[in-house]
Amino acid sequence: MEQSFELADSTDWIDTPLNLLGPLESSLRCQICKDFFTSPVITSCCHTFCSLCIRRCLSSDHKCPVCRQADQELKLRRNWTVEELLENFKKARPSVLGLARKEAARIKNGGDDSSEPSPKKRKVNHLDEPEPPAALSPRRVRTRSRGAKVQADPTHGQEEIEESDVAIEPEVIEDSQDEDYSDDGLVPCPICNRRVRQDTINTHLDTCLAGDSPKPPPVKSSTAFGYRHPQGSELKKLERLPAINYSLFKEHALRKKMRDLGISDAGPKPLLQRRHTEWMNLWNANCDSKNPKSKSQLARELDTWERTQGGNAVPSAPERNPVTSKDFNAAQWSANHNDEFKLLIANARKKSDAQVRSTIPRVSESSNAAAEIPSPTVPSPHFGTPAADQNDSTPSG
Amino acid sequence: MGSSVAQKRLFHEYKNLSTNPPEGITAGPVSEDDMFYWEALIEGPGGTPFEGGVFAAELKFPQGLSSEPPDYEICWRRVYPNGTVCISILHPPGDDPNHYEHASERWSPIQSVEKILISVMSMLAEPNDESPANVEAAKMWRERRSEYEQKVRDEVRKGLGL
Repeated sequence: MEQSFELADSTDWIDTPLNLLGPLESSLRCQICKDFFTSPVITSCCHTFCSLCIRRCLSSDHKCPVCRQADQELKLRRNWTVEELLENFKKARPSVLGLARKEAARIKNGGDDSSEPSPKKRKVNHLDEPEPPAALSPRRVRTRSRGAKVQADPTHGQEEIEESDVAIEPEVIEDSQDEDYSDDGLVPCPICNRRVRQDTINTHLDTCLAGDSPKPPPVKSSTAFGYRHPQGSELKKLERLPAINYSLFKEHALRKKMRDLGISDAGPKPLLQRRHTEWMNLWNANCDSKNPKSKSQLARELDTWERTQGGNAVPSAPERNPVTSKDFNAAQWSANHNDEFKLLIANARKKSDAQVRSTIPRVSESSNAAAEIPSPTVPSPHFGTPAADQNDSTPSG
Repeated sequence: MGSSVAQKRLFHEYKNLSTNPPEGITAGPVSEDDMFYWEALIEGPGGTPFEGGVFAAELKFPQGLSSEPPDYEICWRRVYPNGTVCISILHPPGDDPNHYEHASERWSPIQSVEKILISVMSMLAEPNDESPANVEAAKMWRERRSEYEQKVRDEVRKGLGL
């Protein structure tokens, strides 16, 4: 069953020895979209959602979906800890899940089921351990994941570990680079973690190594999360759109506002309102993002919205298969589709004839087969394809 | 994006329901091309006259990000003649058609297909006669319980083709 779904989900852990990671993963998923949090924000009632999900909810209902307390988009605050937790969990997930699945397969195949309990327990401890520290700085994670590899060593083949090495290392390094080299031209001192200008780093290092060691710890603890938010110039560029009280806007004023924002102003006022709300949600959620998207990308997302839910959406659901509906009129259906049924029957007969002919040489010894050949007008259920049988019976019944 | 998020969410629910199904409940999209149209089968809860029965239903999900509840249509026409069931979880959060429900019982985007189906199961076991979908049935349930149960049992048998 698992192979048919390529979508990562918390149920992936169920059949592995690490099934306790399922609930952990569930709690890292947004309750609205069931996916991992994207730009998580926290409401004033302390529930966390994806920025875009909760903005869409609040703009239609003005209540927290979990506790139904009234809330406003203005009060949403970013939840960096969750975002960081998630980032690190996502990095660790493939290798941990891979190991867990291998272990599950080994338990399933191996004859050592009876002696299993104690080694299994040990393994759970091993692999559980690297998870909690994910909340710490990326640098820590690197050392921990190395530790996990060393621990995993005795139970697994050398090449597997080699693989996970490759999978984990570069990503983590890249990430720490991302953070260390932000656009302010400062680099962190590896000793005290203070940010200094790049050209003075060497002299700073000398003084740092030489003396004032009592000071660094407090500095370090203040950045213990090691997570530097794009608080500087980058954020100021993206200004949030204020909510509008639509009833105070005349239609042409709203149209002008939307033209100014660079979005379509077509359609009646209710549609304008919905489109503006959606744009505001997309835009403001993008402001919460660590890696904001470009305006043209947001415009494309608005376009998708337009096609599925906005002005271009098909009013009712697309055509369903009417055969499954309850008030299905079989007589009418077979009358309307009579020609098609006839065509299908003819095709099926041709096919079954061909099949019979092709089977004769091989089944020549069977008298049954020979008896059934001369009746091409009534395709026998043995030779007709399932489709042919079905279509054959529909018009008559 | 709106639609693909909703679609992905439904896929998550589908995966969850099929890898870890609650007892007596089967549900999934009719075809994988359209994640917004599901069919569900619910077993009649044990210890009730519905025991042994299987109740099919259709679910239609809105395209938006689940700010509205899905349409739930039970295919069992004998007790629920027009297919609608009256369960607070299926009522949109804003309006209160019956003026007695708590807002907290109604639909919210964090509800799931699984919760809806479990609610339907518990409704079969303990119908709420204050907001009946079929007034006649509710009257019978209230005044002539044994007759109601016998009728349900007969209908369940008939439904199974016995």
